Amino acid sequence: MLKVKDLNVFYGRIHALKDVSIEVDEGEIVTIVGANGAGKSTLMWTLAGVLKGKSGSIIYRDKPHPTVAHEAAAGGIVLVPERRRLYANLTVRENLMMGAFLRKDIEAIKKDLEYIYSLFPILKERTTQYAGTLSGGEQQMAAIARGLMSRPKILLLDEPSLGLSPIYTAEVFNTILEINAQNTTILLAEQNAKKALEIADRAYVLETGRVVLSGSGKDLLQDPAVQEAYLGVRHKAI
Amino acid sequence: MFLQTLVTGLSIGGIYALMAVGYSLVFSILNFSNFAHGTIIMLGAYIGYFIISSFNLSFPLSLIGAVLGAALLALLNVELAYSPLINRRSPSLYLMITAMGVSIFLENMVYVTLGSHFYAFPEIFKQSNLKFFGSDISPLDLSALVFSLVSIYALHLFLIKTKLGTAIRAASYDMTTASLNGVNMTRLIGIVFLLAGAFGGLAGVFLGIKYMVYPTMGWITNKAYIAAVIGGLGSLPGAVIGGLILGLLETFVSVYISSTIRDVFSFSMVIIFLVILPAGLMGRHLEEKV
Repeated sequence: MLKVKDLNVFYGRIHALKDVSIEVDEGEIVTIVGANGAGKSTLMWTLAGVLKGKSGSIIYRDKPHPTVAHEAAAGGIVLVPERRRLYANLTVRENLMMGAFLRKDIEAIKKDLEYIYSLFPILKERTTQYAGTLSGGEQQMAAIARGLMSRPKILLLDEPSLGLSPIYTAEVFNTILEINAQNTTILLAEQNAKKALEIADRAYVLETGRVVLSGSGKDLLQDPAVQEAYLGVRHKAI
Repeated sequence: MFLQTLVTGLSIGGIYALMAVGYSLVFSILNFSNFAHGTIIMLGAYIGYFIISSFNLSFPLSLIGAVLGAALLALLNVELAYSPLINRRSPSLYLMITAMGVSIFLENMVYVTLGSHFYAFPEIFKQSNLKFFGSDISPLDLSALVFSLVSIYALHLFLIKTKLGTAIRAASYDMTTASLNGVNMTRLIGIVFLLAGAFGGLAGVFLGIKYMVYPTMGWITNKAYIAAVIGGLGSLPGAVIGGLILGLLETFVSVYISSTIRDVFSFSMVIIFLVILPAGLMGRHLEEKV
């Protein structure tokens, strides 16, 4: 569905992504694991059409990937950005409706809104509240919900568990599984490696802009290097 | 006397509000003070004047022509002068300086082509005043007030109720995220300038009727800018409230104290506001919780 080949992205003068190649197939959950500054967000912003690659190719559904954000969104690539980025000056409902900005099927939008309220009952309670007044966890729910309102073909989630309590984190990961079960392909960038690898079909490890490891989620969970670097397991005696 | 002053003040305030709306719309999206807005208003006034005096068309047609003309000029302004900077993600200071350049350019174009004449609109509203509780109220003041309030209220409904209006408010908070939601920002910015220009055209015609049409009339938008600052730059209700407060203050000072020190009061008010309430009466205080 999405094929990234030898992608190089510069962030100002910083070479943020170096020859990155990843693949996401239809219906999968693919996880990108990496520390702060590894280039996860840069990859996400590039796939969403906000940043532009200097070289390399991105093929999306057998066509060159649109390089403008609103065209990427129209093509079904929807990013839920890091730190949520809700419109704090809009109500929760207006935020959700912004997710449906490009859609014209009013009846289906209504249905989707009902579905989202059943998925996140807390948002229904807060529907007329300004998004800026929500708690961090509620904001993450709203941000994912706004992404779903776009009816994405592939949903890019950038650090959805950032700054959340363990309870909310668990809820977010359950939601991701549920969304995936509804036939939405998911590309997930996470620092919370254990959870993210557990739910992943396949995963890539990104380090200082390079893909250093890839494999199925389970394989990477067992990998000694990954365990040591991201899961806090010690293999060598001190 | 009091009632008459009140209506005059409100009508001037209404025109200030019309002009301030244009500033606020642009500021809310692009975060810079569009100082070319005054010249767009001036050109709107010229368009309205020539439609009515040279082509002998009716006042409604002149108003519509001025609104459409000014809207298109504002769109041209953004496409030719600002878009190259916006696409390069230049700091908003550059945009503001460019706006000043556009303003100087257009003003001098008018000097070169039309000269520095003062044109007066033909009599549109009857001189005879309406008697109302023993006060004389001019039909011009009344219609300026009604026009400005109705059109601004219509804009408010547009921003609150429609999808496009919601997108404008969303983009005013976060342009990048709006583009992630599928909003074509280039087009949205164009629409915002069309709206600002349309309001400028409306303001220009009423200003022209009330005072006169001349190349530097755009500088009266300094007052609209004050109104926008008092109300809170970027806030639509703020622009209206700021405009009305300023119009009332100026008129009451002119009538009850002296018209020569009127501007002292308006400019002092800006200073006071910038010191005590820099975000204005209804400026943005929203912070996202992290």
